[in-house]
This record gives sequence, structure tokens and C-alpha cells, in this order.
Amino acid sequence: MKNIQHESAKYQVSGEAIYIDDMQVSDRLLHAYIYTSPHAHAKILSFDIEKAKNVKGVHAVLSYKDIPGRNQMGPVFHDEPVLAENLVECIGQAIFIIAAENQRAADEAMALIEVEYEILKPILTIKEAIENNSLLQPERKIEIGDINAGFASSKHILEGEFESGGQEHWYLETQICLSIPGEGNEIKAYCSTQHPSETQTIIAEVLGIGKHEVELECRRMGGAFGGKETQANHLAAWSSLLAVKTNRPVKLRLFRDIDQKITGKRHPYYYKYKVGFDDNGKIIAADIEHYLNGGYATDLTMAILERGMLHAENSYFIPNMKIVAKPMKTNLPSNVAFRGFGAPQGIYCIENIIDKIAFALKKDTAEVQKENFYGIDDKNMTPYGTKVNHNRLFVIYDQIIESSNYIKRKADIDKFNQENEFVKKGIALTPVKFGISFTTAFLNQAGALINVYNDGTILVNHGGTEMGQGLFTKIRTIAALEFGVSLSRIKINATNTSKVPNTSATAASSGTDLNGMAVKNGIEKLKKRLADFTANLLKREHQIISKPQDIIFDSDLIYDKNYKDIQYKFEELIKKAYMGQISLSATGFYRTPDIHFDRAGGKGNPFHYYAFGMGVSEVSVDILTGRLTVLRADILHDVGESVLPNIDIGQIEGAYVQGLGWVTGEEMKYDDKGNLLNYSPDTYKIPGVRDIPHDFRVKLLENCPNYNTIRRSKAVGEPPFMLGLSVWFAVKYAIASVCKHDVEPELKLPATNENILLAIDGLKK
Amino acid sequence: MNLENKISFVLDGKIQVIDFNYSEYTPTTTLLHYLRSLPTHKSVKEGCGEGDCGACTVVIGENNLGGIQYRAFDSCLIFLPSIYGKQVITTENLGSADNLHPVQKALYEFDGSQCGFCTPGFVMSIYALYKQDNIPDKTEVTDAIAGNLCRCTGYRPIIDAAEYVCNNKNEDIIDKSEKETLALLNSVDKSETILISSSEQKYYLPFYKEDALKLRNENPQAVLVSGETDVALRVTKKNELIPNIIDISQVKDLKFEKETSDGFIFGANYSLEDIRQTCEGKLDALYDMLCVFGSRQIRNRACLGGNLGSASPIGDAIPVLMAYDAELTIENINAKRTVKLRDFITGYRQTKCNADELITEIYIPFPTKDKIIKSYKISKRKDLDIATVSACFSLILEAGKVKNIYAFYGGMAAWTKRALSTEKYLIGKEWNRNNVELAMKELANDFKPISDARSGEKARQIMAANLLLKFWSESGE
Repeated sequence: MKNIQHESAKYQVSGEAIYIDDMQVSDRLLHAYIYTSPHAHAKILSFDIEKAKNVKGVHAVLSYKDIPGRNQMGPVFHDEPVLAENLVECIGQAIFIIAAENQRAADEAMALIEVEYEILKPILTIKEAIENNSLLQPERKIEIGDINAGFASSKHILEGEFESGGQEHWYLETQICLSIPGEGNEIKAYCSTQHPSETQTIIAEVLGIGKHEVELECRRMGGAFGGKETQANHLAAWSSLLAVKTNRPVKLRLFRDIDQKITGKRHPYYYKYKVGFDDNGKIIAADIEHYLNGGYATDLTMAILERGMLHAENSYFIPNMKIVAKPMKTNLPSNVAFRGFGAPQGIYCIENIIDKIAFALKKDTAEVQKENFYGIDDKNMTPYGTKVNHNRLFVIYDQIIESSNYIKRKADIDKFNQENEFVKKGIALTPVKFGISFTTAFLNQAGALINVYNDGTILVNHGGTEMGQGLFTKIRTIAALEFGVSLSRIKINATNTSKVPNTSATAASSGTDLNGMAVKNGIEKLKKRLADFTANLLKREHQIISKPQDIIFDSDLIYDKNYKDIQYKFEELIKKAYMGQISLSATGFYRTPDIHFDRAGGKGNPFHYYAFGMGVSEVSVDILTGRLTVLRADILHDVGESVLPNIDIGQIEGAYVQGLGWVTGEEMKYDDKGNLLNYSPDTYKIPGVRDIPHDFRVKLLENCPNYNTIRRSKAVGEPPFMLGLSVWFAVKYAIASVCKHDVEPELKLPATNENILLAIDGLKK
Repeated sequence: MNLENKISFVLDGKIQVIDFNYSEYTPTTTLLHYLRSLPTHKSVKEGCGEGDCGACTVVIGENNLGGIQYRAFDSCLIFLPSIYGKQVITTENLGSADNLHPVQKALYEFDGSQCGFCTPGFVMSIYALYKQDNIPDKTEVTDAIAGNLCRCTGYRPIIDAAEYVCNNKNEDIIDKSEKETLALLNSVDKSETILISSSEQKYYLPFYKEDALKLRNENPQAVLVSGETDVALRVTKKNELIPNIIDISQVKDLKFEKETSDGFIFGANYSLEDIRQTCEGKLDALYDMLCVFGSRQIRNRACLGGNLGSASPIGDAIPVLMAYDAELTIENINAKRTVKLRDFITGYRQTKCNADELITEIYIPFPTKDKIIKSYKISKRKDLDIATVSACFSLILEAGKVKNIYAFYGGMAAWTKRALSTEKYLIGKEWNRNNVELAMKELANDFKPISDARSGEKARQIMAANLLLKFWSESGE
């Protein structure tokens, strides 16, 4: 298929695309500001906000006492107050909100707010939380086989512990919501949210009104990556409260530093492992513990923890395996969804274990990986009791080992490393097997509303949100293909809860899978109506005996396949159907079939299918400065039959680079009071234009249609993120060469220049 | 002094006048906030408000040798009065969705825009490159967009689009009206100092050194800015109200370069990007450092006077110019004196420049042939980052022995400091691996670095020591 560009890109390059902060609002608009806790853990003994209310230009200063509905904004577990009552549990937790005409008035008001705290000792790290048995929710377990018997029959055993760090989303557009009160209880909010229905729900609950009073709209987000899956709800709750209290439009847009300080990140993990294996590196038994730093509230931590467990074995068949995961509670902002949703952490853990096995056996890591891959006909049972079908690991592995020239390049690298003291190179392969579906089964549903207007144009509404990933472009393409019409007829409407209700978040890479199917379902209903009408029309106008199932929709024409010389133009037939009193609007719906998961037993079929991919990265490391250069990356990824290859490649490249950021330069440091030190791009460094691979080769796996999905495609948003891990393993290899691979480096994740130098320094001891 | 309280500049092909007596703007309103307050320039986005993301990049045209020179700037770091007499261009001025400019079209067709929030900034950075006379190679292309962050694409399609369009240049919409624009720019009077004042603030914009010195004498309490890439953060990040500002960015007789047989003399407000281009192949250590100094947008705006005068512990130019033994000319209304940069900085952000004085010139002598000077910067990210540790070394060898060595380090103390005991240890010794490794241990006596957001103390010690070894390995033993 010819490239179809992102449907908004024309407006984005010319500056015409409208983001929420660009909207023209009435001159009654007020701006919202948040007063947050300066302490990580403290009791609020008393407060006084009366003086602040009298500042000129300030229209409202609200505390929890002013909330008409429920003081709660946690999406699943209700442990996250909208405004703190008598306890604050992290720095940056909201206590008061202010509506003011400008920043200056708000600053003045903030300075006049008095709060008396009793400071309590904070828990900041996972290890402190373990020592204090500080958990958000009970631990979870998945188990298969008998690990004790497995260890007993293993020739080699390794055990140990390591960690991985957090990651800030760094969407370019910071969190924003504009709330506009209407008549009576009505409120309309424009919010940069991945989950309009939930944002609507939270507004309704906090205001104590019905959801039918709340209209939520999102045309586009300036990036999200999981960061706007639940946190947008917070902004919406705050701005809507102020809008209702002042009866004026209120906009809350976080300044970058505030956004970075108060929002959650990717969950840092601490891992413990024990693994038994044979001389070939084949894993016989693995006992793995995941400890997540969940921050102060549960948010989506349990779903993230679950996905981490369901990816704890990545692409490998492990006959005896136990995975225990514990959601630790700390006094940091609640950590949240982030592209991959626990899977990057689960996969990093097992990949590092595989790398350690290869190191112990002096084998090539890629060989040990292959040794452990899930089998095609046997050795294909996951720890959670799902059989791995349509396994593409071997196909991809063989192709990428060949196309990346892995074996020869690794030999060249070893030679280079022998000849060079101050620059070392490394190469590594990372495979990914990523389960597609929300693991909370009921979320796997989507709706659509297709309106055909009597001039032959089509407006498609669906529940998915556009955050740059190209969902609207894919949906538009799917709609055109399904309806047999040209793209120019179709427009995708802004996502709006009054058009399609009760939707799920655009998350879990499922946007196209779910909403594409729902749109297809709506179009099928319309086509059925129009086919019936056309068959009748042919009889009436041309005396042809035509059956509805023989009516074809193709290239903006509608005809009976047996009478191809009589054709109606699409708009002509639509006009006739309208005059014939045929409904030209239809809803669509989709639920993913056969998804279930028993959490207590840790067994079930949580995924509709798996997406597979592999990446090979080569790096050079200046061992004196820790400067890392990614020389080349080869990626081969399985997207089924791609709906739009250019959009899919954009997702793969972007995900890889974001993964590269997580494992290299992106680092969170806190002081001993719980203050985040890297709270602005001054010190928090996402990859820049010169940090990407100098030679970047991305290919889609060919001839691999998927089964029972929209146009035989596969989800693509998250799976390639994990391929960025190959950079970290290549760095580890380069560092290990300093001591001729005799000592395994203790390299932290992320591999910043600091951590690289410390790992090298550690080797010398 | 011009007391009309107005500024004039070119936007949308017309002279625009802001009358500060009748507007919501203050003298420290940033160009970003001004543009976003208009209904017609919403493309200019705020991503960070500190010049670290490039989403607010605009192109500013300035009268230069009878033509217009177009350069990219972060509009969040520009106070409104300093665009006086200049042309501001945003992506809306280049094209519209149904009539895209070649730069916009390339980004569109190469899939260079996903969420689109960073896109207008990239358009403008690439546009500035498109307006250069040369056809840039890939290094220059990536340099031109290293000041712009994108979180969606992974950059590859943006690089491809920029390379393609800069290899296929044509006369464009801005060229077509350049003559008219030039006439408009020339019609703005730049002789009398502009004063923008409100009940709370006074902002002076002089055009001549003499006027700047007079203002400095009369307002010793005023904050001095040129590129304001540092001072603007006090406004954008801390909402500080700065009561008095003297902006010397448009002082013509401070904006120059002069090459003599002994070295270079640069005017204090001459841009770092101009200096970078000038010193390529002539002052290698300075060139190397300027290539990793901030971003193109920052270097277009920042100047040596600011980088040296603010005396930051991590000012990138300081260790390098100390190694070159640069000399500053400092003036007040009555007198002129010269101070060696090595003696100039007296403490954390403290210098020998008095409140009534201005740095006016920086003299950088060419090193003698026997001197080896190299500069290094370690930062978490190569581009658009502040140094964790930086260093510049100057070495003279005689018969394989160290005759003289200077080692200046940034990021290791409250201000740029020499590693005196390390230097002392090395002088007179063979310049070999063994002695360098012993000297690396000496560094622990020179510095007690801190732990902060960029790095821990231990890694800083390792970095500082390793840079000496790196210098040795590259100094052709």
C-alpha cells in the first residue's frame, strides 16, 4: 500500500493543529494552580487559607472540604485523594487548588497559605519499604512445575539481585485540562487524556453529578506514553472543581518543572533471582521476585505488576518457574503506566539472567537465548498456562542473525577490543514476545459511531485517542478500506464521550485492534442496510434480481457483482438511501474473544496473541569518559500485515529510541527527603538527535498475517520498546571486555556515563 | 534616550509596535509568551521554558551586510524589548496546510511529525539551516536540530527530511519579500537608547558602548543581560520580578571579531555561534568545546561576555579560555583595564568586574607552536547538556619532559579551578603513562567535588582523573 501520511501532520507542520492550550476561550478564563506538599510524609495538623482567598485576582482557594462529591481519584483502588485531608504521603501531593487571573496573584496567594505539619519519617527506596513491610496491596504469584525439583536436577545454579530505574514520560505537551461549566450541573472538559471515559467518571464522582452531565473531549495529545492514562484525571478533577466553584472556564496547564516533580514515572524495580541450568545454558528452573516501587498510591500498579509477571519469562520456555511480585509502597509520587507497562522490567530481569548464564558458561548470549526459546510443537507452555501459538521467534532470529551479520561483527568487535585500550565495543541481541490485550479482561471492548451524511461524506467516531501514534490515521484507512471508499470522504472526529460512551483507555498497544474492529462492525451494519437498499433499488430501477450479499462496495462505487455495468456512485446511492428513509448512522462494538485470567490461581488466557520482534545493537564506549555511541541497530519486528507500514516503522523507531533512553541516559535521583533532583530537562536527559543509532535499519517481518484481528495486523505501540534493551547489554559486553570477559561488570540500569565509569572502576577491584 | 515606551519589529510582513503603556506585556515578557498571546502564532509551543527542548524555536531575521541573516532562537529565553528592530518568523509565516513550505512538506512527507508538539520548533530550526548559503552535511544537519527534542519519532525521519530539503533549496516566500522586509528593518531607528519602563521595572536597550557604559554607571544595581540565556530562567522558572535590566545585545560596537597576528579579539556580545565558526581550524580546543556548547539556538544568542562574566562553575568556555590564557578588557565610563581570565574569577559567580564596569572585549592569543591545548567536556548527553566535569589542558614538553602544564577543571569546585598540586607533580617529569597515572591520584588533593543531579562525587573524581589520561593519550607522547 502507498504511504498514507499522518492525518494531522499537515496541520502540525504548518502550526494549524490545535492543542488544548491553543484553544481560544472567553476572556472570563481563569488559570489553575496547585499548592503541593513540601514533605514526603507528614500529618497536616491545621491549615489556614482565608488570607490567600483575599488576594486581588484570586477567585478561589479550595481544600478537600470544598469537594461536593467524593475526595478520590484512584482509578481502580481508592487510595488517592483529590486533595489531601490530614495526611500527605509524597512531595508534590496536592493539598489546595487556586483559580487566579494570573501566576502572580496565585504566587501571592500561595505565600499566604499556612499549614502546620507534623513531619513523619519517609520511606523512599524499595529496600526501605521491604524493611518496613510497606506494601500497597498483597503480593501476587504465578507458578508452574516444581522449582525445587528443577534446582535439584540443575548442574549449575546462579543467584543474586539487581535493579532497574524509573523513567519520566517527557511528553512534549505537559498535562493540561480546560473545564467549562454549562447550564445546571453541565460541564465540558477538554483534556489531554488517554482515557476520556475515566476522566469523565472522575469528574462526575468528584463533583457528585451524573456522568451524563459531563462531556469530555480530546482531539489530540502532544504525546502521552502512558503518562496521561490516569494522571489526566487528576488535572480534570482539579480544573473542574475550580470551574464549578467560580462558574468560569478554568484551565490547568502544568509548567514543565511542576509536571516532572508531581507526576509518577515508570516503576523502578528490584529483582531477586535463583536460576538452575545445564551445560548448554538451558534453564531448568527459575525462582524470580519482582519488587516494584509503586509510590504512595496504588494507581495501576497491580496491572503493571501483573504484566511484569506475565513477561517474566519473555521468549523462553522455563519448565519450572515461580514468579512472586510485590507492590511496595513508598513516599514518592504514585508511579504509573508507561509504554510497556511492567513488561520492560520483567523482560530486563530474565534477559539479564540469560546474559549471566552465558557469562558463567563463556557462551555467546544469543546462543543461550536461542537454546531457551519457546518451541513450535512442544516446550510451548507459559508459566500462566497459555500455549504459545504462531511462534515467530525462530523465523525472526534466523533472519536477523543473518541480516545483521551478527557473528562476523561480534568477531570483529572482539578483535577491536583486543587492539584498543580506551574505546571498547559491544554487540547484543534482545528478543521480545509481547502479549496483546488488557490483562483485565473486561477492558477489551470498544465502541464506534459511524455517521454517513447525505452528501456522501462520513464522520467516524471511536473511543480511541490520538497521542501521535497514528491511531486516527490507521482508523481512517481501515474505514476507507472497509467501506470501499476514498480517504477524502472520511474524517475522524475528536474523541468525545457524548459520541461513544464507556470506552477503555487507549493503552496496552490495543488502540487499533479494538477501535478498528468496532469501526469495522459499525461499517458492516451500514453496508448491510445499504446492500439491502441497493438490491431493491436495482430491482426497481433496472428490473434486476439482485441479492444483498452480491452487492459490492469498491472505489466509491456500489454495484451487484453479477451486473457490473450498472453502478451507483457512492454519494448518489447515499442520497437515494436518505430519500428512501434509510438510517445512515450506526454504532459499532467489539469485544476481544476468549480472554480470561484467574488472578488468584495465576492461570488463564490473558492475551489475544503475541507480537514478536528482535533488535541487535552495536555500541562503542569511551571507557575514560563513559561516553556511549550507538553505532548500529538492526530491528526486525512482527506487525502482522501492516495497515500502514510508514506509521508502524515510526512506532518501532520511536519505541526503540525511548527504550534506549530508559536504559542509558534517563535517570532519576532523589535527595534524602524525597525531593526529585532531576525535575527539568536541564538535568533529565531524554535521547537527543545524536543519541540514536548512526546506522538505523528497521524492517517489518514479511508474509506474516495475524489471525482474527483487524486486517490481519498486530499491535505495535509497546513491543519494540523492549528492543532498546539490546543497547544496555551491548554496553555491558563492551565494559566486560576491559577485563577480557573474566569478571562480570556490575552495571546499573540506566547505563549513564556515571554508571559506566563506576562499573569499570568496580572491575579493577 | 527614547522614552516612548514602545518597541517596533517586523512580524507578518509588517512593522508591529508594542506600546508598553497600553498593553498587558512587561519588559520581561518573553517572546514566547507574546507570540502565544496572539491568535495567529499558536504554533510556538512551550515545552520547558528553559531552552532545553526547542519547541518554542522561532527564526529571527536581522539586517546583516545589506541582506538579512536568519537564525534560530528559543523564544522562551528572549525578553520582548530585545527583538526591537528585528524580524520574527514562525511556521505560520512559511506556509499553510494547503500550501506547505518545502521544509514543512519534507517533514510531512518523511513522517517527521507524530504528536506534532515539537514539530513547529523543528520546522524553524531546519528553516534557519535552509536559509544558510551552504548545503549542510549530516553533521551540520544534526547540529542544527540538536537543540530540539522529540519524544515520538526517534529523529530518523526528521534528519532525513532536513537533509533532503537542504539539498533541494529554492527561492521561497520569505525571499520574495526580503527587499521590503529589509526596508522595514532599516526604518527602525537604532541610535537612541530605548527605555521600556513600568511602575515596577526599567529595561534599557542601548545601541552604543558609550551609552551602555553610561547606563552601567548610573544603574550599578541593574542586571546586565545580552543573550539572557541564563537570566531569563529567573523569570520563566522562578517568576522573579527583575526591577532593572540593561540589555547590551544590540550594542553594535561590542559585536565584532578581529584577527591579528597574535590572536583573536572578540566583542563581548559577539555570538558563540559566530565564534565557533570563526575559530574552526584556528583555536581547536575552543572550537571543540563550542561544538558541544548548549545548542545552535543557545549559541546564536549567548556570548563570551555572559559566559565568562557569570562565572558559573560549569561555564563551558571558562576552562578553555583559561588554558589559552585569554585576557578581558573591562571598561567603565572613565577607564579601561585588562585582566587575565585566570585572575578574573574570585569565587562562586564572583568576578573582578565592578558594578559600574562592562566586559567589552576578549582577547585570545594564538598558542605558541610548542603548546598542546585540548579541551574535554563530560556530560550525560553529548548535546544540549551542561558539563558534569569539563577540563582544558595546556602542555609544553621539552625532550619528553613536562616543561609546563596547566590543568583547568569545571564542575569540580564552586568555580573553575586549576589542579595545582597535580600540575606541580607533573612538572619536570617524563610525560609517560606511569607518571600520568600517578598524577591522576594527585587530583584527589586538588578537588573535593560534590554529588548532585548530574553525578555523584566518586564518578566526578574518576572523570577528572580519566580526562588527564585521555589528554595524555591524545597528546602524542
